[in-house]
Amino acid sequence: MPQSTPKAAILLEAAVKYLESELMPTLKGYYQFQTRVTVNVLNTLRRELELRNAQAEAEHSRLVAMLGYDGDVETLSVDLADRIRAGAIAIDDPALRAHVRQSLADALAINNPKWLTR
Amino acid sequence: MSNEDFGAGLQAAIARHIGAPGTIHDLQRLTGGANKTTWSFDADVAGAREQFILQLASARANDESNPLAGVSPHLTADEDARLMIAAVKAGVPAPRVRAILKDDDGLGPGYVTERIAGETLATRILREERFAGARATMAKQCGAILAAIHRIPVAEVPFLMKLTPAEHIGAQRRIIEFYGFHSPALELGLKWAEQHAPKNIRHTVVHGDFRAGNFIVGEEGIRLVLDWEIGQSGDPMQDLGWVCVKTWRFGGKKPVGGFGTREDLFEAYEKASGHSVDPAHVRFWEAYGSVRWGIGCFSLGTRGVEEMSIERCAIGRRVEEPLWDFLNLIEGRD
Repeated sequence: MPQSTPKAAILLEAAVKYLESELMPTLKGYYQFQTRVTVNVLNTLRRELELRNAQAEAEHSRLVAMLGYDGDVETLSVDLADRIRAGAIAIDDPALRAHVRQSLADALAINNPKWLTR
Repeated sequence: MSNEDFGAGLQAAIARHIGAPGTIHDLQRLTGGANKTTWSFDADVAGAREQFILQLASARANDESNPLAGVSPHLTADEDARLMIAAVKAGVPAPRVRAILKDDDGLGPGYVTERIAGETLATRILREERFAGARATMAKQCGAILAAIHRIPVAEVPFLMKLTPAEHIGAQRRIIEFYGFHSPALELGLKWAEQHAPKNIRHTVVHGDFRAGNFIVGEEGIRLVLDWEIGQSGDPMQDLGWVCVKTWRFGGKKPVGGFGTREDLFEAYEKASGHSVDPAHVRFWEAYGSVRWGIGCFSLGTRGVEEMSIERCAIGRRVEEPLWDFLNLIEGRD
């Protein structure tokens, strides 16, 4: 069956538009703040839908190259964290630094892109 | 407790501890955090109307069944008040405690302080023209205030949790272990901290959360330092590093709280304390502070999931901000 339309990203965009341009101006204080947070979360979700698959693929390749075996991204990432903790990978290892930097930049591109240029 | 019972209970407590009749006016709830609730009110005491703040500890704070209780510093309401009393005595602009609530007040653990007017929102303090003079002086003020905090005799506040830098890092490790959080970036940060933790330190009272957002500011500068509840004792340079953490610059460009320079902070601290400041030592605490705040975001986000709170859940998605800042800092890219 073809994917239902409108697509998820469009639904989110429409929801954000309603909250921001119609609901928000009628609110004050606590409710305005919570709605602002909700808008931010929906925008995060929209960026995640757009970016995460490609990011996860690249992350997977980096992890396989560093660890030397295959698995799903979550399992490999937990293993990498445990190896850093055990001292099996030095924290100044250039491949590790590059991986962590890219992973943080990817997460910020979804969660708060403005932070990258702050 | 109903609003009427609460108001009557508060009036009786004010009359008993501060002055009769204690009639309450304009009682307003300001914030309700996970650990405490803050109220603002005026009261008639001994022929004058005075302005007060009431802080009540929530049931969750210092809950013995919380598996993380006692891992990192957290004062009871009574200890919090006693620390502020010791701070005022040492010349620190801390809230003046007017009453510490007792069991028979029936309001739960908490305390009443004087209320001082001013701005706490860091973004306003950084942007509004009327605070231009304050911004120019606040880094120096921070140095002088921290010197005063670090002079509070530790013996006067024996209940403070004593932490070496290594123990501080160990506490953060226990928190992520408890949650089973495995993040390469966070492990890199904690490992870096373990390898760079300062060894030769002075041992003083440490505020623990000295930063923009926890100051009441007027046009002339900082009027009051708030939020003493994670007071502890340990390396005083921790406080100098924390006030520089990028998160607490609230978008401002300057390293100290977004408003000032490290040179002003260090110079004022040295002058007021008589102790020299090693910038690399402070930088450790700034870098490690970023890691610690990453763990803070993670813990708050996890609680957000328990509570299904959109605000808290969103904080969980901020973990990478301080970790990004940490990585840039240790690589000299900040």
